[in-house]
Amino acid sequence: MQQARSKPNAVLLVLMLVGVVAWLTLPAISVAPNRIVPGTPQRAQEALGWGVALLATVPMLGVATLAWRPFTWHLRAALVLVVGLLAAMPLWLSGVAATLEAASRLGLGSALWLLLFLWLLALIELRARLALSRPLGWALLLPVLLAWWVCLMQWLAPLALYREYQVRSDQFVGAIGQHLALVGSAVGAALLLGVCLALAMRRRAGVRRVGFGILNFLQTIPSIALFGLLLAPLAWLASRVEWLAALGVSGIGWAPAWLALLGYSLLPMVRNTFVALEEVDPAVIEAARGMGMSQRQVFLQVRLPLALPVVLEGIRITTVQAIGLTAVAALIGAGGLGTFIFQGLGQAAMDLVLLGALPIIALALMVDALLSALADWLRQGGTT
Amino acid sequence: MSGDVVRQRHSLAGWWVPLAWLALLLALSLGMGLLEGPLRVIEPDSRDVLYVRASFLALLGQHVMVVGLASLLAVLLGVGGAVAVTRPAGRDFLPLVTQLASIGQTFPPVAVLALAVPALGFGTLPIVVALLLYGLLPIVRNTLAGIQGIDPGVHEAARGMGMTPGQILRQVELPLAAPVILAGVRTSVTINVATAAIGATVGASNLGDPIISGIVNGNTAYVLQGALLIGLLAITVDSAFERLQRRVVRQG
Repeated sequence: MQQARSKPNAVLLVLMLVGVVAWLTLPAISVAPNRIVPGTPQRAQEALGWGVALLATVPMLGVATLAWRPFTWHLRAALVLVVGLLAAMPLWLSGVAATLEAASRLGLGSALWLLLFLWLLALIELRARLALSRPLGWALLLPVLLAWWVCLMQWLAPLALYREYQVRSDQFVGAIGQHLALVGSAVGAALLLGVCLALAMRRRAGVRRVGFGILNFLQTIPSIALFGLLLAPLAWLASRVEWLAALGVSGIGWAPAWLALLGYSLLPMVRNTFVALEEVDPAVIEAARGMGMSQRQVFLQVRLPLALPVVLEGIRITTVQAIGLTAVAALIGAGGLGTFIFQGLGQAAMDLVLLGALPIIALALMVDALLSALADWLRQGGTT
Repeated sequence: MSGDVVRQRHSLAGWWVPLAWLALLLALSLGMGLLEGPLRVIEPDSRDVLYVRASFLALLGQHVMVVGLASLLAVLLGVGGAVAVTRPAGRDFLPLVTQLASIGQTFPPVAVLALAVPALGFGTLPIVVALLLYGLLPIVRNTLAGIQGIDPGVHEAARGMGMTPGQILRQVELPLAAPVILAGVRTSVTINVATAAIGATVGASNLGDPIISGIVNGNTAYVLQGALLIGLLAITVDSAFERLQRRVVRQG
């Protein structure tokens, strides 16, 4: 065991060495005088000089050195260094921002994106090697986020992404609201309908076969095509049925998006609920019956609680999927964060694209983490 | 020998479902003009109801090529990478790759596509790269699951028979993991067909084009034509994979 531990950790070595090379050779930032002119790329040493650029390689080389003999305390020190690096990036950017003229826009270059990616990978690797718990892993990101937040508030006004946000801060909040409302209502409806469907499928094999057939088929259809196919019938319905039109149903907008989301959400929801209810150990059911529980009690007090973690897994998969699909729904005017992506692509304004894409990824990751944690917690509660 | 031929014919006979979808797809891409009447009913206000900026066959070809190229690269890299990190030399990278494959799947494909554009510019290249990157994840995950799911006893037996590590990989691990790997490839290709269509917004011309231009111009008929063809393409590909999976499972 001791011998295995003293073997160098190749992952961290590779990540850090690639990071050093990227930092010194790729453009770290791009500076544009205004929104229209494309920015000029600058390498780290051109932006703030060789001294600072070389100084930044020290912690990375430090992590690589520590990884050469990966004892536990070496890895802990490496973890501190990596978190420090992640938190130092906005500070370095603030330093760059201080040298710029008032109207100029600062964009992140490929070196910084790559470094962010590599350092996050290093963080994941260290978390796994040190067997840190999931909440602790997320807590490690807190100082990083705090550093970014403070720098954004104080010195990073020229950051192009932040400029795009400032122009649209109201719209941005509204878009997040729309996004969440669409995802929440579709997943909520899918949960209700899915549980009913799963229960019906347990009763009748015919429903099961037809139901899974249709839902599987639906899942195959690409989202953009399904949105398109719903457009004509909904427009027709809205033109014929007045109260539907009064509700705001039309060929474009939230109605086709919501329907398509519901359709896509049903399969993972029904599948997980069905499997969860089926897979409860028959011996446990038998025991509950033997204790004199009624059919209803067995279901509500035994089968359902035992199935809950797997059902929750279904909700997690469904919600993450729906967050991504809602982004596409912006194409048919359903609003949400995808609006910024497609607006940005249309205007070739890449920072606007980022303003849509980054929060969508963050939302998906957050929902994933929260629901996974909840499922873990329920599982532990179930076994003790 | 003759038994083999019969079985071959049997398994070929099962291909009629994907072939029928393919025939429908090709027929519709060639003969969309025949649907002009119904389309005019749907979109009575527009002068043009048929998308004519490019032939549907060309758009279909582009779509299939981009998805095919990205998927081929994703299979090569994904299976190769997963095999590499399960060998003794690459085992250091196994935990990271496993984590990355599962975290990466939380990323919405649209967001990945959108991020590829600032990095690589407009056109077909960012789409191929985005599809490749995203398509890697299910393949890597399933290949890892497939290889790790093999009973250690089987490994032991193969080694006991004097097989070299290369032989074990080719004759034991990959064949046993094949059904799981194929399921990963299926997921990957299905997502790629859908994501490639959204690529029309970043300047690739494929079956997403009629949909995007239909939405921009408020022409439902364009949207329908694109949506029908993409839907058919997805179903064709999916049913072909289903067939393939059945065969692999039967052989295993």
